[in-house]
Amino acid sequence: MAEGAAAFVPSAMPACYTTRLMTQPAYIRNFSIIAHIDHGKSTLADRVLQLTHTVDERDMMDQVLDSMDIERERGITIKAQAVRVWYDAEDGHQYQLNLIDTPGHVDFTYEVSRSLQACEGVLLVVDAAQGVEAQTVANALMAMNANLEIIPLINKIDLPAAEPERVRHEIEEALAIPADEAVLTSGKTGEGVREALEAVVRRVPAPVGDPEAPLKALIFDSYFDAYRGVVALVRIIDGTLAKNLKVKMMATGVVTDVEEVGVRRPANTPVDELGVGEVGYLITGLKDPALVRVGDTVTLAKHGAVDPLPGYREAKPMVFTGLFPIDGDQYPDLRDALDKLKLNDPALLYEPESSHALGFGFRVGFLGLLHMEVVKERLEREFDLDLLATAPSVEYHAYRTNGELVEVHSPQDMPDPGGIERVEEPYLRATVLVPPDFVGAVMELSESRRGVFKDMQYLSATTVEMHYEIPLSELIMDYFDQLKSRTKGYASLDYEYIGYRPSSLVKLDILLAGKPVDALSFIVHKDKAYQRGRVLTEKLREIIPRQMFDVPIQAAIGGKILARETVKAKRKDVLAKCYGGDITRKRKLLEKQKAGKKRMKNVGNVEVPQDAFMAILKVDE
Amino acid sequence: MSSAADTSARLPAHLYVHVPFCRSKCSYCDFFSLSDAAEAATSRWVAEVLAEARWWGARGMRGALETVYVGGGTPSLVAEKVAAVLAGVSAEFAIAPGAEVTVEANPDSLDAKSLASLRAAGVTRVSVGVQSFDDTVLGMLGRRHDSRRAAQACADVREAGLALSVDLICGVPGQSLTSWAETIATAVATGARHVSVYPLALEEGTPLAVAVDGGIVEPPDPDTAADMMVLAEESLARAGLARYEVANYAVPGAESRHNLAYWSGVPYLALGPAAHGMLDVAQARVAGLIGNDDYPDAARVRWSNAADLEWRTLPREVEVLTREEVAREDVMLGLRLVHGVAEEDVRAAELEEVMAELGAEGLVVRASGRWRTTARGWLLGNEVFERVWCG
Repeated sequence: MAEGAAAFVPSAMPACYTTRLMTQPAYIRNFSIIAHIDHGKSTLADRVLQLTHTVDERDMMDQVLDSMDIERERGITIKAQAVRVWYDAEDGHQYQLNLIDTPGHVDFTYEVSRSLQACEGVLLVVDAAQGVEAQTVANALMAMNANLEIIPLINKIDLPAAEPERVRHEIEEALAIPADEAVLTSGKTGEGVREALEAVVRRVPAPVGDPEAPLKALIFDSYFDAYRGVVALVRIIDGTLAKNLKVKMMATGVVTDVEEVGVRRPANTPVDELGVGEVGYLITGLKDPALVRVGDTVTLAKHGAVDPLPGYREAKPMVFTGLFPIDGDQYPDLRDALDKLKLNDPALLYEPESSHALGFGFRVGFLGLLHMEVVKERLEREFDLDLLATAPSVEYHAYRTNGELVEVHSPQDMPDPGGIERVEEPYLRATVLVPPDFVGAVMELSESRRGVFKDMQYLSATTVEMHYEIPLSELIMDYFDQLKSRTKGYASLDYEYIGYRPSSLVKLDILLAGKPVDALSFIVHKDKAYQRGRVLTEKLREIIPRQMFDVPIQAAIGGKILARETVKAKRKDVLAKCYGGDITRKRKLLEKQKAGKKRMKNVGNVEVPQDAFMAILKVDE
Repeated sequence: MSSAADTSARLPAHLYVHVPFCRSKCSYCDFFSLSDAAEAATSRWVAEVLAEARWWGARGMRGALETVYVGGGTPSLVAEKVAAVLAGVSAEFAIAPGAEVTVEANPDSLDAKSLASLRAAGVTRVSVGVQSFDDTVLGMLGRRHDSRRAAQACADVREAGLALSVDLICGVPGQSLTSWAETIATAVATGARHVSVYPLALEEGTPLAVAVDGGIVEPPDPDTAADMMVLAEESLARAGLARYEVANYAVPGAESRHNLAYWSGVPYLALGPAAHGMLDVAQARVAGLIGNDDYPDAARVRWSNAADLEWRTLPREVEVLTREEVAREDVMLGLRLVHGVAEEDVRAAELEEVMAELGAEGLVVRASGRWRTTARGWLLGNEVFERVWCG
């Protein structure tokens, strides 16, 4: 899949853009826009492109930088983007602004952290009606840790519910960021966008680097182009990156030629060279993304830099699920599709898995639930696969009595209870921001999900910040949905991983017609096993269609049955009247009926619809 | 294998004529019908049906007709026109002495006058679309008649000296087992010697299906429908009407010969919009349904006319079956009959394994050289037919 943004070729591109000489660092500003999801970041980015005439009015479509279909449909940003715009500032100079658009969802925190390394400043966007939310806090902290200049933007001031003064106050109280100079903007009307760019020019420091030193360029993102190979997005720290140079990737040691350097406007536009402080792309012809790692430093092959730039936090998958093709013949296609997605998504991890019930598939690791949904959707849409996903799980650590550690990615990997000394599971520190009225609701929910209350504080009269330590496995069930619904949508959530802790966990098996179905097993806290088993068997009874025989559904731990339901055998299945000897129609209906059964999974001799494998997620307690 | 001689020996002896007119559409029906039964439309329909009859005649399909079935739609709504069609048909094809000539009728459009004209045109049998003798159920089905009118229509048919068949529907939302038992008893009391029982199917897009999907009407319970089908079989048997096909019951000797033809793999002709017919491949080539050199594997050809008053000028939809498919189809159709299927036909269709599996599940049973559908099989017909047809 080539990057979709290549479609937006500005129709009248001045020749100077392709040959323009390097800009002096004093006239370069590298910045990012960060925000809680839905606070209007992508729309603001669109306005910047319009104001600077980077994209022609007639090529303008909503969310230019979100180039994937899924990004645009869901209004979220998944991949980082870097676009160069020219801005004529009020001081009479023309500035090269490099805008690095970053994802706004909690799953994609790692992408944000990478992108921030390429910047000197950020525009921190806060919705004028919603105010400060959990991701606002998390992003602001990340920018502070990276020593970036933070310019607060209070956005959506066109909304009737906008309360810029309250939000200004919140920014100061909750984030300890002076907000008297916060810029008021509306992505919808374009109001305040010029002021925001002026603030970038005035307040974001110019990049600093040594043009005479050996090349040091930071790879902050990459994607795969079917024709060009790996395209790396780079920020030049020292020296110059030019076409035809021989360069070395410092971490992998690979030496290669520079085939092309360029900038994104937002279509790829080749330039002769990139100098200190500039942001652009690099094409080397390398096809293997493993050789062009995000976080690596590019230097010269000969007389290069000695020390690489400090690396990035590596993305670690937190959520695991089994992905199986409905049609077993599609297994090789699924493998190829995952290989291809991996080129653009280094955080995606997968290994082959086989299930008695579902056949051959893959155990796939994701950053979070949204990441999982997005990947599954892309696999189905872009690669035309029909997939079945098992309930998501986390990585448990089982310690055998001999001290050996077993990493459990899938319930099937869990050793027998007899041989285990203890099991540990990943915990998170969850931060919930919520109006005071809903504190009780959050407590009730969090405690029912095994959360341990740590502390809470009033950020303002209208916002309370609460901290919980909670197992990741609980969070991926339905915590976020429940949090939203029990707080009428007011609560916002952020979390960070804090490590493994011992837990009383058991493997719960589901038996259909007396046989355990591996793909339906899951790991659960001992105290919740009975209740979860009961609810799940009831749910499965509703989902599994009546068959030619009674189908008992049982939940069991080891050999002990906790709950039992039965799908009664169907008694009647006849077609109605045959109109005037229309046998053809009758046969077509039979063929349709047969095709419907094919879409189900045959587990033993029970036909199980796909929904059943996700039922565990929909267990409303 | 088929010489000209044996083609002519087996010329289609059965004819279906479709009448596309209804006063209004019932809530469960997705079949082709037109609510405009004005003179212009109905006269045109007669002319076109007869032109189509001549078209077949000109292609040699002039067999003596053993059965004619005029279905719809609502044939009784346009009884005079049906009579005209029957007159034209008997001029084009010979109608064999003692032929069964059935016309479907709705109680609200049946009266002494229409019955007289049908009888004069050679009709021997009337199939009345009663559906239920419970007014609440009739309302749910969107029928235009009430139970009294239905009973009267049945009496009129017998009065006119015509054979009576009654159509009933079970598994209707809101229909109780008691209501169903009373409906069957009333049907028996009409003196009908033939009763058809169909479980309601919710056809996509019909008002009833939309109401069920929208949660306005409680969906019919499949277990209750099963109880109703069992009750129908038992009550009708006690009254002397034995099941002879999955949905049909008759006093021995009063079976519908036309209905039996559909399940016996014999050719039948069809006239009118949305009508379906079937021919041997040799006949289909003679008639020009398929070209002489097309489909060298073909053994049987089914076709359907376009669902439009312009059907004669519109292309027919043609389905060609190979010998293997014909063998499977014949087994599938044969299992609809109490009579069942001969073992050698099962063997010829290479369905012995499938039948053995179905037998193990109690859906069919083998006895005295034939495979027959069991009581359980009648209720789970889709499972039986799907596995026979799809393998």
